[in-house]
Amino acid sequence: MAEYFAGIDIGSTMTKVVIVNEAVVASVIVATGPEHRKLANRVMEEALAIAGLDFDKITYVVATGYGRINVPFADRQLTEISCHARGVSSLLPTVRTVIDIGGQDCKGIKLHNGQVVDFVMNDKCAAGTGRFLEVIAEGLGIRLEEMGELSLIAKNEVSISSTCTVFAEQEVVTKLAEGVPVANLVTGVHKAIAARIYGMVSRLKIEPDVAITGGGARNIGLVRALEPRLGYPTMIPDEPLLTGAIGAALLGKDAVRNASENNLPLARIRHPLQELTFFT
Amino acid sequence: MCPGAIESSSNPTKAVIGVDIGSISSKAVILSDAGILSWAIVPSRGNLRTAADEVVSQALVKASLSVVDISHVVATGYGAANASLANQLANDISCQGIGVSYLFPSVRTVVDIGGQFSRAFRVDNEGRTVAFVLSEKCAAGSGRLLQVIARVLQVDVQELGELSLKSNNKVDFTTGCAVFNESEAVSRIAEGALKEDIAAGVHRALAAKIQSLVERLGFEPDCALVGGGAKNIGLVRSIEERLGINVLIPHEPQIVAALGAALIAEEKSGTKSTVSQEKTKGY
Repeated sequence: MAEYFAGIDIGSTMTKVVIVNEAVVASVIVATGPEHRKLANRVMEEALAIAGLDFDKITYVVATGYGRINVPFADRQLTEISCHARGVSSLLPTVRTVIDIGGQDCKGIKLHNGQVVDFVMNDKCAAGTGRFLEVIAEGLGIRLEEMGELSLIAKNEVSISSTCTVFAEQEVVTKLAEGVPVANLVTGVHKAIAARIYGMVSRLKIEPDVAITGGGARNIGLVRALEPRLGYPTMIPDEPLLTGAIGAALLGKDAVRNASENNLPLARIRHPLQELTFFT
Repeated sequence: MCPGAIESSSNPTKAVIGVDIGSISSKAVILSDAGILSWAIVPSRGNLRTAADEVVSQALVKASLSVVDISHVVATGYGAANASLANQLANDISCQGIGVSYLFPSVRTVVDIGGQFSRAFRVDNEGRTVAFVLSEKCAAGSGRLLQVIARVLQVDVQELGELSLKSNNKVDFTTGCAVFNESEAVSRIAEGALKEDIAAGVHRALAAKIQSLVERLGFEPDCALVGGGAKNIGLVRSIEERLGINVLIPHEPQIVAALGAALIAEEKSGTKSTVSQEKTKGY
C-alpha cells in the first residue's frame, strides 16, 4: 500500500500544502490570513479532497514556515531552511545555491550533496523581499503579478537610488508623476531589489547551479535582473512556491523510513484534523 | 545670487538672513546686532524656489524689515541653490554646528533627527564640526518611521510624543524596518494593544537606531537634539533613557541650521553681534 506524507508551509504571505507518495499527488496554495490554525485545517482538507484521501491515510505530517507552530495536526515542525534544501535537492539535484525570495524574507542556502552547509537570511528589512515589490506595485497602481512581464517591455531603465522600501516607493511615485513610463520604473525596481538580494547572498560562496524559489521566482523581470549579478543562469522549479512544503513532506518520509529501517521510535505528536479556533 | 538683494543702506540696524531649504520644510532666521529678530518655517511642498522666497518674506514681515535692510544672506540645506537671494551657500552640518554652539556653548555632540534621515556630529568649543555620521537611507532610522506609525494609529504625528507618555507597557517592535514595523503595529492593534503603548514602543525602536548612530560617532557630553524629532517629547525621553543622559533642546529645534547660516552671514557682513549669547539663548 502506498504511503502518503504531507508537508505544510505557512509562510508570512502564502500557505502551501502538498501530499506526496512517490510523486506529488495534491498541492494547494492560498494566501496566509490572520488565523493560522483555521487556515491550516482548511488547506489540509482541500489537499486531502484533491488527493481523494482521508486524513488517517497520511502517515506523517511536517509543518514548516514562520507559522509552523500553528499546525496542531502536524507530527513535527522543521525550519524552512531544512525544508527548502530538501525540496530543492529532490526537484533539482544539481543545485548548490538556493535563493528563496519570500513575501517578507529572503534566504540564501548553500547545499553540498543535498545537505545545508551554510545559509544567510534577511527577515528584518523589507528591502530585498517580496514585500518591497508589493509596496512598489501598490505605489505604481499595478498588480504584483504583472511587474515581471511589464519590465520586459521597458525601453530604458531608470535607476532607483533608495534601498529603503519606504523611500523607494516615494522615489518611484515622484518619477511616475514626472512622466517616466511605468515599465522603465519597474525595470529599475527589479535592478534595485536584485542588488539588495545579491548583496546578502554573496556572503555565501555562490556556486552553480543556482536555483531561485519562492514568490520572487515567479517574477521573470526579477530573475533576469538577478542573473547578471550572480554571474550564472538560474534554475526555477515548476512551482517555485512549493519547494518548502515538498521538502517538509519528504523530510517526514525520510524520518519514517529511518525509524523503520533502524527500528527506532518515531516521534509523533499529531492531533486530529478538526476546526480549531484561536482559543483551542 | 540676485543682484537686487544687496544694496547698501545707511540703516543702522543692519540685518542678515540665514535660510535652510530642506526637502520637507524651509526655515529662515533674521539676525541683527540686537540678536534674533525673527524666524519663519514653511513647508517646502516640492517647490523649493517658491518655499525659499516664501520663508524669507515671512521672516522679513515678522521683523518689519524689507530686503533693502538685509546686508548678507547665507543659504544652506538640501535645496540651498534655490534661495535666489543668497550671497553665499554653506554646508548644513557646519551651519548646524555653529547654530547649536551659539545656543549651547557646552554642547559637543549634536543629534539631528530629520524627516528622511538622522545624523550625529561632534563640535569643538568653537562650533566647528569635527566628526559626523549619517544614518543609512532607512526610514526606520528617521522621523519617517513616526509618520508611518502615526498613520496606522490615526493620530497626527505631532501628537505622538504626548500620547506615548501615557504608556505603561511599551509594545516591542521586533524588526528594524518601517514597513515591517507598520505591519507589526497593525497586528498589535488587532490584538488590542493601546495606541499609547504602540507610540511608546516606536519611540523606543527609533531611539535604539539613534543610539547606535551616536555610538558609531563616539559620544561626548553635553548633547543637543535638533531637527523635527527634537519636538517629540516621547522620542526625546526614549533617547535620554537609551543614552542615560539629559539632552539639551533648543526652543525651536528646526531652525538651528538657518541660525548657523545667519551667524555665518553676520560674520561675512562684518556686523558681528556684540550682544551676549545669553540674551538670545531663550529666543
